[in-house]
Amino acid sequence: MAIRYLKKHAALEGSVSVDDAESLTQWLQRQPAPAVHLGKCEHLHGAVLQVLLALRPKLVAAPADPLLAAVLRGA
Amino acid sequence: MNQTELLEQFVIEARECLEAIGARLLDVERDPTNQELLNDLFRSVHTLKGNCGLFDFKPLERVMHAGEDLLDRVRHRTLDYSGELADALLDAMDYAARLIDQIERSGRIDDGADAQSIVHAQALRALFDSVTAAPVAVVPAAAAAPAVAVSQAAPDWLARLEAALLAAHPAATAVRYLPEEGCFFKGEDPWRLASTAPGLLALHVDGRQAWPEGDERAAWDCYQCNLDIVLLSSAACAALEQHFRCVPEQVVYHQPQPQPQPEHQPEHQALPLPLSTEALDADTDSDPAQATLRQRAAQLWADQCALLARSGLSAGTVQATRKTLHGLLAAVDDAASKVASAELDAVPDARLLAWVRQQALQDQSLLADDPAADPAAVLQPADSMVSELPQRFEDSSGGHPHKVLKVSQEKIDRLMELIGEMVVAKNSLPYLAQRAEDVFQQRELSREIKAQYAVINRIAEDMQHAVLQVRMLPVGAVFQRFGRLVRDISRKLGKDVNLVIEGEDTEADKNVIEPLSDPLIHILRNSLDHGIETPDVRRAAGKPAAGTIRIAARQESDRVLIEISDDGAGVNPVRVRAKAVERGLIPADRAALLSDDDAVQLVFLPGFSTVDTISDLSGRGVGMDVVRTAIARINGGVDLRSVHGKGTTLTLSLPLSMAVTNVMIVESAGRRLGVPMDLIVETVRVHTDDIHHFKQVRTTVLRGRIVPLRALNELLALDAEPLANEQGELAVLVVRIGNQNVGLLVDHFQGASDIILKPLEGVLAGLTGFAGTALMGDGGVLMVLNPKELL
Amino acid sequence: MNRILVIDDAATVRMYHRKILGDAGWHTDEASNGVEALERVHAQDDDTAFDLYVVDVNMPRMDGYSFVRELRRLPARHQAPVVMVSTEAKAPDASAAFDAGSNGYLVKPARPSGLVLTAALLLGDRPAALKAAAGVKP
Repeated sequence: MAIRYLKKHAALEGSVSVDDAESLTQWLQRQPAPAVHLGKCEHLHGAVLQVLLALRPKLVAAPADPLLAAVLRGA
Repeated sequence: MNQTELLEQFVIEARECLEAIGARLLDVERDPTNQELLNDLFRSVHTLKGNCGLFDFKPLERVMHAGEDLLDRVRHRTLDYSGELADALLDAMDYAARLIDQIERSGRIDDGADAQSIVHAQALRALFDSVTAAPVAVVPAAAAAPAVAVSQAAPDWLARLEAALLAAHPAATAVRYLPEEGCFFKGEDPWRLASTAPGLLALHVDGRQAWPEGDERAAWDCYQCNLDIVLLSSAACAALEQHFRCVPEQVVYHQPQPQPQPEHQPEHQALPLPLSTEALDADTDSDPAQATLRQRAAQLWADQCALLARSGLSAGTVQATRKTLHGLLAAVDDAASKVASAELDAVPDARLLAWVRQQALQDQSLLADDPAADPAAVLQPADSMVSELPQRFEDSSGGHPHKVLKVSQEKIDRLMELIGEMVVAKNSLPYLAQRAEDVFQQRELSREIKAQYAVINRIAEDMQHAVLQVRMLPVGAVFQRFGRLVRDISRKLGKDVNLVIEGEDTEADKNVIEPLSDPLIHILRNSLDHGIETPDVRRAAGKPAAGTIRIAARQESDRVLIEISDDGAGVNPVRVRAKAVERGLIPADRAALLSDDDAVQLVFLPGFSTVDTISDLSGRGVGMDVVRTAIARINGGVDLRSVHGKGTTLTLSLPLSMAVTNVMIVESAGRRLGVPMDLIVETVRVHTDDIHHFKQVRTTVLRGRIVPLRALNELLALDAEPLANEQGELAVLVVRIGNQNVGLLVDHFQGASDIILKPLEGVLAGLTGFAGTALMGDGGVLMVLNPKELL
Repeated sequence: MNRILVIDDAATVRMYHRKILGDAGWHTDEASNGVEALERVHAQDDDTAFDLYVVDVNMPRMDGYSFVRELRRLPARHQAPVVMVSTEAKAPDASAAFDAGSNGYLVKPARPSGLVLTAALLLGDRPAALKAAAGVKP
């Protein structure tokens, strides 16, 4: 249960693994205003990071991990 | 504890290491491919080298380091063991022993040792290296990664890192990591790898190629890795190489400034990382100690990050790390740390890494207006462990591990002394009891004293026995050095000899074992010199070319038996007889009557020597009489058996301990003397009329047998005749010497007593006729006789 | 009073470390290999539990890494920071130390002030840390 697809955003929670990258990609592409909530995200796989960097969804909430947050901000 | 004690400990352990090295070298010679032996050997050298490093013993360390490098190659099979190697090592160890002697004497190594130590070190290094002498100091070796590229000119990608950051960390390493496209399919996670790199200061992730736009997106494959990662780290290059060891070809390192190879870096390799850049900048306190403290604390903090970032962390590690973090915060003790410390316990394990990183980077708050962290963490740490001891690490032998204490000899001797004094002191209690009764008419008191004496007596005996057990040494302690002796001498003589040692764990009292050394060496030399034949002679005789000398020790009731046997030429009874007659040691007719076995015993006669030339090895052609005397001094005996052409066996019989000796105290010519009770057959008074004189010899008849009589005064060169009592009787102490009873004429008998026999020391040590001295209850010293030597 | 367990197979090194740490004002105990060390650990109760472990890497019977791994399986009351001490300055060994669950890594022979500083920091003893820091050469 790593990604919850809500009305306005996808909430990435806990540990998001490589398998989730595919569905996230498709979901984000279908959204008019793609957004993700990372407030409860502990870890995510490199493939998932790649998706976020490639598709640039809006960041509703940054992850607690400062490194990840910085990377997402800087991109 | 002071420096002297530490030095003493160093010397003790150093000598132990050298001993172990010597023994192992010989073992390895016999079994050069035994990995365990090689590792053991290496370990001893390694330990000694390590210990040298604690002090400033450079010359010694230099030699040991060379030995260590040499042995490391041998144990890893990149170098073969050889006799040449062994010789060089033995030489080096002999040299090391001399240096250790110097250290023991004066606490330091003499000046000028440097030159010689270099010679020895080079001799060792020459065996594996055509280039001589690597530096003595420990040089951190970079992890060998053939494809490591370290560029010096500033690459383009470096620009992605903030200039200010680079300036703030001039010695940091920049890394560019370009994961291969298919890495996701290989199960790799480059983000994880990069974000867990040690000493992270900064991390940037971009797309290698432009990200898809518009229509491209639909067709985009999210599993083709397009990440381009650049990071800056304060960790040493080697640490980073280790971290990225699985993908060396995908990683490039850059160091803005070349990092000098530290010669001897006692601290952790990571460079100082400020716990928080703000705190340091704002810190106007120019106290260098404070700064050092913060730097080191920051370093350790970064280490905890690296630790927490690892997968498979156990609950124990997390618990310990929390304590560590608390410790670091308490030590830094500034406002920020106090806040952090208050927060720490509330941070769930799953968030810990992030929190720790946060403290380190300490930029603006990274949490946007997000609801507070969910106290119920998604990942639960493992439940607390059952408090059961895993079987794994327990002693594999199943039993309770053997606890060993190393105690200095002096302390044991002191303990023995004190117990000895107590034994003697307790002996006065019966006298006191008697006095209480006789002089002071205190019967009750007397009885009580006697009862208490019995209790103290038993305890004292137990104590004595216990301490004597402590003083028991294994005979192996003496046998140890024989391996080397046999090896060296046999090589010199061109003979091939195997030394077999059995029963080295057999124990005997220290005072018995130590004097054994010289006689055993004599025996071995004789065996090597005259016993074992050269390979040619042996082969001609149908024997294996290699001779065998066997030393076997075992305990039999209250004796320790040590057997030294060889399969050499044996003793030739014909030659022995002839020699003895020639030397005038025995009349010819007597000699002819002796059986072969008895003839062989003639070698024990003083002045006997079986070789015409005095071999330089055996010195004066050491005779067996010297050996026999030395053994007799410790109340032991020697037995010789030999078969001409087959071999020789010498059996030494020694007392198990120099325990309490029961002695009969006698008086003669006004002197008090002790005679060991176990030699005494009986005490009797003989009328002068019953004493027969024959030439110079006095005899009497006791129980139907003729007993020769000797006046003790005469034996002790005391100028007095034995005193007769009122009835005209002389006191005769009948002792058993060898197979014979001999009567000693003394003046008075004074009763038996338990004493602790102290062997004669120092100037008196050479005195014959005495077994030692003992301290009496009245403070006087009792001279205890060794009747065997007297007669 | 902080209690430190020094674990090393060389008696001289044990004495040396205990002296240095003892002079800094801490109580020390010792063991000569991992098995003995675990015994010492188990012999302590809550009052006498160790606050820091100084562990040599190379020891017979049970080496430093194994000891730390075993230690980390024990209940919380036995857990305390571990600093490993090794003659190797190579990175893989430092890495292995952390893999096992250590909190710090020093190269032997540790300069007295260096060892004390690290210990003081891990123990949270600021006065001792400052004193040691003053003695550390930059």
